[in-house]
Amino acid sequence: MDEKEREAWYQFHHRKYGIPSDHLRREFEAELSGQNPVDAPLEVPDKMEILFKYSYGQQSRFFRELRENKAIYGARCNECGKVYCPPRSHCNDCYQPTEWVRLEGTGVIRACTVQHYTTSAFIKKLPFICAYVQLDGTDFLLMTNMEVEDVRKIAVGTRVKAVFREERHGSITDFYFKPIE
Amino acid sequence: MRDVAIVGMGCTKFKARWVDKTYYELAFDAAKMALEDAGVDKDRIDCAVYGIYNDFFQRQYQPDAFVHDYLGLGLKPMVRVNSGGATGGAALRIGYAEVASGLYDICLVLGVEKCADCYNYEVAMATPEVLRAILYTADMTYDNPAGRTAASGFALAVVAHREKYGNPTDEQMAKVSVKNHFNATKNPVAQSPKIITVEDVLNSRMIVEPFRFYDNCLYTEGAAAVILASKKVAHEITDNPVWIGGLGASVDYVMPGNRPNIYTYESSRVAARKAYEMAGITNPLKELDLAELHDAFTGTEIMAYEDCFFCEEGRGGDLIDEGAVMPGGEIPVNLSGGLIGCGHAVGATGIMQTFEIATHLRGQAGERQAPNARRGLVQSIGGTLCTWTVCLVLEN
Ligand SMILES: [Zn+2]
Repeated sequence: MDEKEREAWYQFHHRKYGIPSDHLRREFEAELSGQNPVDAPLEVPDKMEILFKYSYGQQSRFFRELRENKAIYGARCNECGKVYCPPRSHCNDCYQPTEWVRLEGTGVIRACTVQHYTTSAFIKKLPFICAYVQLDGTDFLLMTNMEVEDVRKIAVGTRVKAVFREERHGSITDFYFKPIE
Repeated sequence: MRDVAIVGMGCTKFKARWVDKTYYELAFDAAKMALEDAGVDKDRIDCAVYGIYNDFFQRQYQPDAFVHDYLGLGLKPMVRVNSGGATGGAALRIGYAEVASGLYDICLVLGVEKCADCYNYEVAMATPEVLRAILYTADMTYDNPAGRTAASGFALAVVAHREKYGNPTDEQMAKVSVKNHFNATKNPVAQSPKIITVEDVLNSRMIVEPFRFYDNCLYTEGAAAVILASKKVAHEITDNPVWIGGLGASVDYVMPGNRPNIYTYESSRVAARKAYEMAGITNPLKELDLAELHDAFTGTEIMAYEDCFFCEEGRGGDLIDEGAVMPGGEIPVNLSGGLIGCGHAVGATGIMQTFEIATHLRGQAGERQAPNARRGLVQSIGGTLCTWTVCLVLEN
């Protein structure tokens, strides 16, 4: 391909996939300028993407309470009394329905580690804490990440409380945990 | 149930990237090797089971159908299995059931994975985008938004184990890494043959505490296949069948918050117990000659010593310190190099491990041959904090 054709190729793939043109140039200039033998493996960009409008089903109230009322709810089994958070409509032991209970939003770290490497989507947050939190009044653990100034201050047994974000979307990330001083 | 034997097998080289092959071309290579090894034509295959983990890796939903087509097995029944890191072991379990049940006489079990087509253009590397593809296997509502990785899940368990029992220590984990990289130097299909020291491991950069770079397996592309046959057909086909003498499987709660503890991998304990029961094993340390354990991380290999009952709970660290799991030890573990040394081509991994044990049982492992190998264990695990485990006891 000549220079004009290559430029068009970069623009087309930049528009289609959102990959910056200079990255495309870095990866594909050798190929497009004819430096690779005809039988060499040919690499091309692609992206898989699907849009959704999905329902939280029987967990809907949990997320609406987060967004509207800055409140965390658990689900208590009518039969055995265990309180689930994440919530569920039926106990997975008794198979009986649960009812909503409002939680304090305080809890304790049951397991934690520090991530120094992660996925493309989270790489800018490193290092951060990956932990299981047991909210007070519940019998289960909630996976969370914590961005804190000093990761050494977080350990098993650390008491934490939920802090709500100003901008909430009705998702689990509407709140985050920080240690109780 | 009928007895089931491995009568043919093949494994491609495990590599960081097979830029010159697609996933179905890799699958073809492994299938061709396995058919040639068994000395049978593909028309003798009655059915197939494909272990393929992540559709993003293959850039294809329902990749099994395209593998089946490419292998020329049209009109034969097949099924695809996906059980996270345990996909290969789980595929073997279904293949075993197909033959043991009497439904079919010859079953091809093939695992393949091609992860490194995922690519992060910003950092010009595959790994962070591979991890992003894997993150879609975390619960999408509650866990995915926390940005955890497979490593952080397993790290949480190792940390919990360490808090309870004081091990595995950093040094013990480093010794496992040194062992598995060394073992890989004797395995022609291995991705990471390396002579390294405990200090090299301890000085490598932290990934997820307590795992440093060399504590982690690498992502791998490759394919592995075995051909399973009923006893009658096995004796027609081969003089050196390898028998599946025991098989156990268990699936734990995928949301670890629903488990009573996270300092053991309960699915592994249940699966190992079942496999030993079926094989009539009461003292695995004495009655097994070698094992391939799923060392996605060094710390998980040490926990697997306990979960497979090579020692008491809490004493896993001793086995690497005492050398029992070293080549020539009481129960050499991961003579292939394991996931750390040979590689982790997810869907193919459990089948590569099986290929390795069967190679020893046939006496064909060359430089790394375990002496007098009569019986070996394969442990295949996967999912958040070891959700899935499949264990197989292989015998000659
Ligand atoms: Zn209940």
